[in-house]
Amino acid sequence: MCGVCGIVSYSSPPDLPLLRRMTGRIAHRGPDGNGYYRDRHAALGHTRLAIIDTAGGAQPLCNEDGTMWVTFNGEIFNYVELREELRGRGHTFRTASDTEVIVHAWEQWGEGCFSRFNGQWAIALWDRRAERLVLSRDRLGVRPLFFIRRPAGLLFASEVKSIFADPSVERAFDSAGLDQTFTYWSPVAPRTVFRGIEQLEPGHYAILDRDGFRKAPYWRITFPKRGCEPAQDARENAAALRERIIEATRLRFLRSDVPVGAYLSGGIDSSVTAAVIARYTGVPLHTFSLRFSDSEFDEGQHQKKMSAVLGTQHQDIVVSASDIAAVFPEVIRHAETPIVRAAPAPLLLLSQLVRENGYKVVVTGEGADEVLAGYDLFREARVRLFWSRDPGSVKRTRAAELLYPWMTRSPARIPAFARSFFGRHLDPGDPALSHRPRWDSTSVIKNMLSDGLRDEIGRAHTEDVVARMPPGSKDWDPLSRGQWLEMTTLLAGYILASQGDRMLMANSVEGRFPFLDRDVVDFANALPARHKLLGLEEKYLLKRAFADLIPDDIIHRPKQSYRVPDAASFFAAGRPAWFDKAMSERAVTEAGVFEP
Amino acid sequence: MNRDIVEQILQDYEAFRRPDTDPELEAVRAAILIEDVFDVTLSDADIDQALFGDGSVIAALVARLRGVA
Repeated sequence: MCGVCGIVSYSSPPDLPLLRRMTGRIAHRGPDGNGYYRDRHAALGHTRLAIIDTAGGAQPLCNEDGTMWVTFNGEIFNYVELREELRGRGHTFRTASDTEVIVHAWEQWGEGCFSRFNGQWAIALWDRRAERLVLSRDRLGVRPLFFIRRPAGLLFASEVKSIFADPSVERAFDSAGLDQTFTYWSPVAPRTVFRGIEQLEPGHYAILDRDGFRKAPYWRITFPKRGCEPAQDARENAAALRERIIEATRLRFLRSDVPVGAYLSGGIDSSVTAAVIARYTGVPLHTFSLRFSDSEFDEGQHQKKMSAVLGTQHQDIVVSASDIAAVFPEVIRHAETPIVRAAPAPLLLLSQLVRENGYKVVVTGEGADEVLAGYDLFREARVRLFWSRDPGSVKRTRAAELLYPWMTRSPARIPAFARSFFGRHLDPGDPALSHRPRWDSTSVIKNMLSDGLRDEIGRAHTEDVVARMPPGSKDWDPLSRGQWLEMTTLLAGYILASQGDRMLMANSVEGRFPFLDRDVVDFANALPARHKLLGLEEKYLLKRAFADLIPDDIIHRPKQSYRVPDAASFFAAGRPAWFDKAMSERAVTEAGVFEP
Repeated sequence: MNRDIVEQILQDYEAFRRPDTDPELEAVRAAILIEDVFDVTLSDADIDQALFGDGSVIAALVARLRGVA
């Protein structure tokens, strides 16, 4: 895991001091070294977190004759197999790194190489002869890649702060990006919250050469038509899912030249990945957990139980509301975007614990909720769809009482709340039926925006993500439509970014996500919806597939969403001075985003 | 509607569900499953726990709602 940046300039030689400044701003992503490449029209920078081929994998790295260069952030987990295939086709390798495989794969297959990669990446390839830059990002957006287009070139980087090393880049909010953030929780690629700065869409590659700039997808999130799923047998599908998750987890644990740890949240997802490592690799496992001093949010007893069952060396960090407030400015600095919850903050402290224990790679259960339908949002959608078939039915209204069984005081069990929150927009034909309550409640933030920003947003004509849904999605199961929206908005823009890459890389830690493995995702997306959400039973097939490895009380415990004490962190007595300063009328007015 | 398929799905469901002490809620929970899996719409009278205990009864109910009985 690393940081990448670069400059392409067709009008003049790229500015090397600027490249050094850009690289310096992402030094936290790669404290093990840095490197530069420059020719007449391009300069590439790299900060290295050495994980694979720690002795020989320095970047930027080139092919045999120095005509093709790459700077790369991430991992290509099937690089060993690809390297063998490429050797068979006559390519010679100087290193044992996955980075070198990228260069030769591009030479061999061109744009077709990306669909062969199984991994998580942000790649920049520079073809010196063709004077062509190629950017590529992994299928679901695990690794970030930002860029700004210039009249005769482009700047790109893993983080926006690197692009801002160029003082000529405008520092201004993008009103449509903010509009999306205060609806979907994050901007949706290619938008960012910064005017003029774009992010490459997950599953895409982009090319810049003297013919101009163009982008294309190499992979799309897709689902089969409802009722036409290729495999219908739950037992066979559970076995096939298990096989893929075991392989995905083994790849992510074993393909590393440094020790790999694992997160253990107390839920089923990280329990599965940790259990697979413990059962199928034979390597001692070090697990790390996040706990809360407030028992309402704490899952410590489940974490300890799972650790004891697996025999892992276990460490946790107990986070309080004041810890969250204290670290929050650092969270924002790394996230580089407004965040609508405090949830990323404890994850920054957790990755710090990992790093302090000498680890720089962790396997986590991230992605299972989106891929295998674990979120409450999917259960809510099913309840709303059920309700929408006869909104006047008293029996159907009661379905809301089945939500949030883990909450001792679930608001869904209060009929008036259920009607006001879940009972709005009950249109069964709405492709975004699943997401309307969340988007509505988040959009309330926009009522607090300054008049000027609200006017700008009104003129911005922000793209509606629903309009981007594939034409065939009307024939998908409603659950699949909800999954598409979740993967396109929250997963890429918030979960993998503000809660994922940014909070891990702030402490130079790489996250690896078996549930986002290419083969796991493609298989899961083709499953019948009932194998993911059976009635209101979330992640049904995952539970069935790993029932022998996970204790019953972990498998059967109602899913508890990851929540943190948001309000208590900022509004309790003893909050840090920065908060009152930032919230003062003068500061809010000067910022110009919210009405004081 | 094939009774074996209904039995299989109900068996899968039984293995993982957390029983509710309220019979009407239990009926609602089962109705959500039946409507989703079999793509039918139940009447309020059909949403009754007494109707959901037996695979053959559900198979007959689904067949009736699909107009094939």
